[in-house]
Amino acid sequence: MDTHYIGEHLLPGQLGHLAVIIAFISSLLATISYVTASVRQKRQLPDPDSWKRLGRIAFIIQVAAVFSIFGLLVWIISQHYFEYYYVWEHTSRDLAPKFLLASIWEGQEGSFLLWAIWHCVLGLVLIRFAKEWESPVMSVISFAQFCIASMLLGIYFWGYRVGSNPFILLRNAGVMPFEPGPDYLSMIRDGAGLNALLQNYWMVIHPPVLFLGFASTLVPFAYAVAGLWMRKYNEWVKPALPWGVFAAMALGTGIMLGGAWAYESLTFGGYWAWDPVENASLVPWLTLVAGIHTLLVYKHTGHSLRASFFFFIITFILVLYSTFLTRSGILGDSSVHAFTDLGMSGQLLVYLFVFLVPAFVLFAYRYKEIPAPRTEEPLHTREFWMFIGSLLLFISAVFISFTTSIPVWNKIFHTNMAEPVDREFHYNRIQIFIAILIALGTAVVQYYKYRQNSWQFLRKKIAVPTVIAGVACMLFGWLSDIHYNRYGLGFLIAIYLLFFVSIYAVVANLGYILIMLKGRLRKAGASVAHAGFALFLIGVVLSSAKKQVISIDRMGMMDVFDFSNKNENPRENVFLPFGVPVQMGDYEVTYAGDSTAPGDPKIYYAVQFADRQHPDKPLFTLYPDILKNTKGMQGYSANPHTEHFWNKDIFTYVNYASNIEPDQSDTARYYTHEMKTGDTVFLQNGYLVLKSLYRNPQNPNYHPEPQDVAVAAELDIFSGGKTYTASPIYYLRGNEQGAVDDTVQPLQLYLHFGGIDPAAKKIMLAVKQIPPRDHFIVLKAYVFPFINIVWLGVVVTILGFLISLVHRIRQQFEKVKNAQKTVYATKDVEV
Amino acid sequence: MYDKFYRNFAGCNKIEFSGFKLLSMKRFQIILLVLIAIAIGVIVSLVGDFSTYETFASAARHPDKEYRVIGVLDKALPQMYDPQKDPNYFSFYVKDKAGNIRKVVYTGSRPTDIERSEQIVLTGHMQDSVFQCSQILMKCPSKYKNDQVAMGQMSGSNSHSGQ
Repeated sequence: MDTHYIGEHLLPGQLGHLAVIIAFISSLLATISYVTASVRQKRQLPDPDSWKRLGRIAFIIQVAAVFSIFGLLVWIISQHYFEYYYVWEHTSRDLAPKFLLASIWEGQEGSFLLWAIWHCVLGLVLIRFAKEWESPVMSVISFAQFCIASMLLGIYFWGYRVGSNPFILLRNAGVMPFEPGPDYLSMIRDGAGLNALLQNYWMVIHPPVLFLGFASTLVPFAYAVAGLWMRKYNEWVKPALPWGVFAAMALGTGIMLGGAWAYESLTFGGYWAWDPVENASLVPWLTLVAGIHTLLVYKHTGHSLRASFFFFIITFILVLYSTFLTRSGILGDSSVHAFTDLGMSGQLLVYLFVFLVPAFVLFAYRYKEIPAPRTEEPLHTREFWMFIGSLLLFISAVFISFTTSIPVWNKIFHTNMAEPVDREFHYNRIQIFIAILIALGTAVVQYYKYRQNSWQFLRKKIAVPTVIAGVACMLFGWLSDIHYNRYGLGFLIAIYLLFFVSIYAVVANLGYILIMLKGRLRKAGASVAHAGFALFLIGVVLSSAKKQVISIDRMGMMDVFDFSNKNENPRENVFLPFGVPVQMGDYEVTYAGDSTAPGDPKIYYAVQFADRQHPDKPLFTLYPDILKNTKGMQGYSANPHTEHFWNKDIFTYVNYASNIEPDQSDTARYYTHEMKTGDTVFLQNGYLVLKSLYRNPQNPNYHPEPQDVAVAAELDIFSGGKTYTASPIYYLRGNEQGAVDDTVQPLQLYLHFGGIDPAAKKIMLAVKQIPPRDHFIVLKAYVFPFINIVWLGVVVTILGFLISLVHRIRQQFEKVKNAQKTVYATKDVEV
Repeated sequence: MYDKFYRNFAGCNKIEFSGFKLLSMKRFQIILLVLIAIAIGVIVSLVGDFSTYETFASAARHPDKEYRVIGVLDKALPQMYDPQKDPNYFSFYVKDKAGNIRKVVYTGSRPTDIERSEQIVLTGHMQDSVFQCSQILMKCPSKYKNDQVAMGQMSGSNSHSGQ
């Protein structure tokens, strides 16, 4: 017996299920066709092209299916069809349309879909441009698509559910507290909503870019696998290089957009916290960049081809590993932003090994065949040091992975290890030395030549930049005034070393562009990227080592607190009573008011900053807010607000406020005064005067009716040298009396006109003023000096990647053209 | 310019520069070995940083050391946060995995969703049977797991028990 449910829209769901199955089957078909085509191409059997064509058709059908899934999801979300579990789980009616996309990738299904979409786009580009590489490379891409499509399947095979379908209905999702009746939809008024932290514009762009990065690491991986498979150890290098550069650019941009999101909307106070989720995406970027460098070495010298294979393969495997870490729930204890466990950890693990095992088996099988010159590079060559640099990047990746994988070690070895207590220093104390060496490498190594023991050459050319950098180091070292003593002298020296080496790298790379490349930016991709990276490091050093908590609380310590305790934690929250200026760093900070807007679940707190020397002239006002977390019944999340200057940021957020739990804060009472015109009532910090009474008042909150008799009291309030006005209203409507209250927000003054005594010509005015100490916020504030150098460095690095990408692509097209010309030429001769 | 010249060599893999051969055959292996040795040393030192999940009792044995303790908030016992007196003092009670309940003092403000947490990871040290805490990591069910469908009259089931 089927129940007929009222009000459901089943069509998009049915289409969605169909599209998922089409995507699954057609990606499998594409894989089989492309693999067959590749095998035939390799063995020079007849008909590889018809298989290739079949593969293309299947892949394009798959593309259409994936885009349909996405379109259907957008449809059901924008229509608020809460009968779908995904819509109910991730959206609500009041969600702003701009966050519609963010709600799609809040869930795992949506982010896998995003990944699949990028694979589709990359696949189409490859079909168009990959030529003789199309079949083997697309075999790998289609297989990856097959794996992702299986993630969206949501079908049970022998009792094990494969994938999770985004079109599952709410009543089938097993979350309903009772058996749904036919009219259950009428009771579902709203969805669970989007997590407050994701309601941020960075969250609209960060995931797509990051997933573009993840997706594009598949392409160099596919080329490496294809090169091994087809035994074309040399030919894959040229097309793989621009793809590698592109992937590094996209992944790097995605990671740093995540950093920007964390900085703008999370409250850990920074753009990087060495959180496992962040590390998991950084590690493949490091190995990818290592791979790009060894590939360049190979291109110019014939060395380090094996390493290049290894780096490109491991990069994609690490991307899968990071997906496993972040999405299997294994990080639960150690990360603030691990994702929902959809019960797919087994499948994610299979997905990881299904790529890892064949790729490395193939690599091992072919290892001996991969050409490697028997000579080693001499010491003073570019290739030798580039290889060492790649090795350093790889070692850095190993160290980061080692700690990030603690939950995995615990699972494998049944241990009970926890993350280091001081996580940041744990990473920093190692990575800072690697960063020093890398920065030094980016400064010096390019002045070497490939294949020539070029020490003399280097010495001659690098002399001028070195001298300039030396002067710059002395100057900036003195100006920077870093005295970060939390971890002792050794670490401070390391910080200065990194600072100086990074300055050297910036100068040397600029010098290289000017001296060696004669300013030809077209070829300067690497130098620009290196200079950008060094700038980024300078920004990291300055903003972290000189980061300052200005909201240190020096008062209000509890008696129970043991002051002698050397382990006492820093007291980084300041109590800001309403309207009372408090000194913080170079500022005087005042909590000046708060505001809410109807329909906006946020409470904004106005925090006024003034110069300590001129406290009466406010410099700027910040509005950090607190948002009732839509995904819970009582949680609040703080959103920071930051004032940006060219040389620093002031970063604030509200940790606690008196009015988030209103029943407790509002202890003040109304006191009623009988007043005649001209009478005065004293307030906590001033007084008010009843200036006059007048009839027929105008007030947006008062809606007059014909029989009304309405009177307004015109009040002047004098407090703290300022004058305010207020006009509460009292009215008679037939036999009923009513009032429209007025408030003076800056004074937390509430005024209620309670009645008139016509005989005595007096009015009843009820006055309530919340004492400042009962009206407060608890604020945390940081100063980040020179954080803009971090962002500038990131932008310049990306720009460098872009220049180099354009250069590589152009090179390739030119080469193809030249090759064609020669082919035609020989043909002419033959004819 | 150098790029173009040497590009011709790409793919020719077996060229030997007899002059460099003697010099360089071993150096690379040595550098590699040194790097591996350093890497192993660093990894050992990384393990030294690793913390362990302890109980209050085992943390009390080494009051000078920072540990992580996993537990749940004891909602029956009082919490104390009075920012007017001290915005950096929040005390509450946590039951650890061994079932022991201890007072925890956190140097900071009261996390607003602590009531909802189903698990708390505390970082800090024991001092006179009070756990001095520098970091609280909460696991809140609704952020990670499926909510129950709240509808109509059923809303508010997740009530706030207050301080």
